[in-house]
Amino acid sequence: MILDAIFSPEFLNNTLRATTPILFAALASAIASKSGVINMALEGIMLFTALFGVIFSAAFQSPWLGLLATMAVGGFIGFLLAFFVLRLKTDEILAAIAINLIANGATILILLFVSGDRGISSSIQSIIIPRITLPIIKDIPFLGEVLSNQNVLTYISLIMVAVVHIFLYKTPLGLQIRAVGENKDAAESVGISSKKIRYISLTLSGVIASLGGFFLSGGYMTKFTIGMSAGRGFIALAASAMGGNTPIGSFLVSLLFGAAQALSNILQLGAWPHELVQMLPYATTLIGLGVYSYSRMKKRQRLTGR
Amino acid sequence: MKKALSLLLVVVMVFSLTACTQQPGAKEGETYKAALLLNGTLGDKSFFDSAHDGLVRLRDELGSDVFDFDVEQMGATAADEPKWAPTLLDFCETGEYDVIIIGTWQMIEGLEDAATQFPNQKFIFFDETFDFSKGDFDNIYNVLYKQNEVSFLVGAAAALMTRDERLPMVDPETKAIGFLGGMENPIINDFLLGYIQGAKHVEPDIKVAIGYVGDFWDSAKGKDIALVQYQSGGVDVGYNVAGAAGLGQIEAAEVAKRYAFGVDSDQAALLPDQAEYIPTSALKNVGNSLIRAIKLDLEGKLAYGSAESLGFAEGGVNLVKDAHYEEMLPEDIRTKIDELEKDIIDGKIVVDTALGKTTEEIEAIKASVQ
Repeated sequence: MILDAIFSPEFLNNTLRATTPILFAALASAIASKSGVINMALEGIMLFTALFGVIFSAAFQSPWLGLLATMAVGGFIGFLLAFFVLRLKTDEILAAIAINLIANGATILILLFVSGDRGISSSIQSIIIPRITLPIIKDIPFLGEVLSNQNVLTYISLIMVAVVHIFLYKTPLGLQIRAVGENKDAAESVGISSKKIRYISLTLSGVIASLGGFFLSGGYMTKFTIGMSAGRGFIALAASAMGGNTPIGSFLVSLLFGAAQALSNILQLGAWPHELVQMLPYATTLIGLGVYSYSRMKKRQRLTGR
Repeated sequence: MKKALSLLLVVVMVFSLTACTQQPGAKEGETYKAALLLNGTLGDKSFFDSAHDGLVRLRDELGSDVFDFDVEQMGATAADEPKWAPTLLDFCETGEYDVIIIGTWQMIEGLEDAATQFPNQKFIFFDETFDFSKGDFDNIYNVLYKQNEVSFLVGAAAALMTRDERLPMVDPETKAIGFLGGMENPIINDFLLGYIQGAKHVEPDIKVAIGYVGDFWDSAKGKDIALVQYQSGGVDVGYNVAGAAGLGQIEAAEVAKRYAFGVDSDQAALLPDQAEYIPTSALKNVGNSLIRAIKLDLEGKLAYGSAESLGFAEGGVNLVKDAHYEEMLPEDIRTKIDELEKDIIDGKIVVDTALGKTTEEIEAIKASVQ
């Protein structure tokens, strides 16, 4: 039963679905990290935008306008983090923790204010982003079942990998972001304003993370439930760190995490102890980080000849 | 400066003196005052709302000069957790309350502490077993709910449904039902054991797919686990006992066109768009149990220092049986459910409980339906 389940299109479907929010957040983290600031507020941004996604898509009666407005909220929170860190000189980690903590309570408060509920947004008539079937691809056996009929945001997340890659490595702004991240003083000596670049990076990071938040309540689920980001923002941080803060690396590691999550869901069908099975995504993270730092150590040893 | 300091000292002393004179305990002619401390928030349309509604009903019934209460919402998230125990101690310190009402397994340690430090303060503790053997706790009344009894009915209904060809959204070929728990703890296991026993009672070779989310809020993960049960495990009917995460199972039921039983609140009423997938919900009547306890306490008859489990007979639990339920389930299944409920009340069926069982015993029961 379990083997059948693993080789079923549903498993790969589940993998892609579980990967999507992590991937958005990992890409967001990659951009911020490339500019030299760690965006640890992803968790809070996703939780806020999951709620605002529901509210805006209901208010505009259009998921796409709702998504646009939600991206603005995500960008604003990213900008706010940048303001705290760059202007008010707070510690980037502490400011991010503050945002994450506020998100926990504020989302409940806002939900109560908007809908009168405190647990779930079922009384808000939101509209979710639809799934689409891809022409031609859907007719390929097996692969078609996996790749077609996904949520539009899942496709967007895959496209975003390429977009962020091109943005970081082929555009002048991307070059400036990387320059500031590598060596802030050197970048400033050639006339790049590191502050401006970091404001832009963190705002962009917030915008991309908000896509992940929107997906949680308007694609993955069809409504907002409290605390629904459930640590995905932190897993994404690990994914982007393990992926060397590159878009493609982040994508591969996010996919690994998504697969581990989907596998752990399926293994629960069997008689395995569920505690062990539930550990899988996190054990994967640990093992992955171990392999990553071991290979880096080897490389360094080779380069230094020791 | 010195003057200000001594003034402050005087004020503090006066306050502490008045605090000493206010001994808790119900007195003639005085308002009986309760404090309801929730390690969550109101508006959950479930558990905590039920407790609050019960106290409101009691106040309306008796009048606020006889009974009154304050409610404190401490929040449910990890960030709120550190303030639960201190808040409890703060409330004890005021000495204003005849009884302090708290619940859930997360508050056990805080309660042990508070009850030891304030032996004159009375407590009502709901929905988790309190270990009275750990000390001298004759100021605590522990009320439990026989979630195993109501889950027995849900399990029986699910097992009857899974082979029923008349229902539009089951595959009569497969005889499998599902269970989605939040985390593995004694209460969730009690739900599970009752569910399994009820299912086996009507269908001895039933298979039960058991999944745990790992927390009570990751609804997306809950949805995925439930989808696996429905799509790969051949499950026709599920039962979610996972708080907000359990709502994921109801969405999964909608996607897979299967059934899911609700819990803790009338989820068919809560989610009108998805009501056609929710035959009914299993409820714990926290409110009723608190009304009962406080009325007993007003008469001086509440059994402090002991635990009590309330089942169908005492109105501690029930299955929602409204028009929606009648519409969803065929009459013969409903009749069977009513018979089983009566048998439980009469003691003809004794529902097994997870409370006090070892892990091995519980694992053996789980393995018997794999």
